[in-house]
Amino acid sequence: MAHIPDGVLSPAVLAGGGILAAGGLAAALRHLDEARIARTAILAAVFFAASLIVVPVGPSSVHLLLGALMGLVIGTATFPAVLIALVLQAVLFGFGGLTTLGVNTFNIALPGVLFGLLAHGYVGRAQAPAAMLAAGAAAAAAVAGTAGLVALALILSSADFVQPAKVLGLTYLPLMLAEALITGFAVGFLKRVKPEIFLASARPVAA
Amino acid sequence: MRRFGLALLLLVAAMAPAEAHRLKVFATVEAGSVTGYGFFIGGGRPMGATVVISDAAGTELYRARTGADGAFSFTPDAPTDLTVTIDAGDGHVAHETIAGDRFGPPVATGGALAAEPQVPAEAAGPATPVGPDAAAGLSTEALQAMIDRSVDTAVARQIRPLLEAYDEADGRVRFNDVIGGIGMIIGIGGAALWMASRRHRQPPAGRQSGAS
Repeated sequence: MAHIPDGVLSPAVLAGGGILAAGGLAAALRHLDEARIARTAILAAVFFAASLIVVPVGPSSVHLLLGALMGLVIGTATFPAVLIALVLQAVLFGFGGLTTLGVNTFNIALPGVLFGLLAHGYVGRAQAPAAMLAAGAAAAAAVAGTAGLVALALILSSADFVQPAKVLGLTYLPLMLAEALITGFAVGFLKRVKPEIFLASARPVAA
Repeated sequence: MRRFGLALLLLVAAMAPAEAHRLKVFATVEAGSVTGYGFFIGGGRPMGATVVISDAAGTELYRARTGADGAFSFTPDAPTDLTVTIDAGDGHVAHETIAGDRFGPPVATGGALAAEPQVPAEAAGPATPVGPDAAAGLSTEALQAMIDRSVDTAVARQIRPLLEAYDEADGRVRFNDVIGGIGMIIGIGGAALWMASRRHRQPPAGRQSGAS
């Protein structure tokens, strides 16, 4: 449930999320060069399709977020990638909401960018098995980060959400595992096929 | 990159049985009552969710919690435009509006017509064949109202599964839309590339630093 729909959050949280997402977007667009645009579009498409597959877990349900994978491959360009995918999901499927675009973009993109960039150097240097482990750990951490931000957004909006937010947190545990596995294998695959994707050339985006 | 595209295609192919977890409300009118239930697209009903039914002015008329089946039922005093809101509490909220004319002619509640249904029962008595004898004691209007009511009930019963199926299909993630969305993203990427290439060509000297 990373896609918070319209009419749930308080205006202050919506505005705050919007400003933070706009900041991330501005930072990303300043560093977006041509090579990265193509990757960004591809990962946006992957995120768009993958996060529509929803698996019921307990009272809620989860779907892939792929934040860390995006953070590892495109760095801050995760912000525009997530935003575009969320706009399309909201318009085409009513998945998430239009007023919550800022909050949702921030919740999904920021942990991915942070942990992706954190793991980036090591993933670039290490051999495949270690790099896969590091990427998996970054993915699990990014999911936990997103869960925390979603819970925070709900709790800041209304005290009624404290209990549901805790339950929501539990549903993210299996997702952390799934996300770690998928990101790990995706990185292992990319390391074999296109190792330069994780090399220093991608680094300036972090600055 | 090509293999990446292949992986993307495989992912999309796996989406055929896809489901979203949006909450929706199914509501219909049966015999003057609004009945229905909340459901999650792809399966599941919201348990213990708050149901609020309010009129067009926003006045709250009904508030309750759903059971395990997510269902609710409410009989308004008078036919009016109603909005059903189900709030599952964890950030899932759904609305559905029922137009006042779905209730049909104002019948059943109090007034002269309320007494009417007993009349045929007594008139017909044990004689089951409801022929002209049974109807003889009734005015044309009363008879018409009775027919209208039973037709309304029968139609509501018959089309309910249809409405349910439609509501469910309406919310399902559609394969075509997924493909369309991906096409849109690729298009946006292409437009961005084109703009970036223009930016590179235009200023041959000076302000290159911004893009580095």
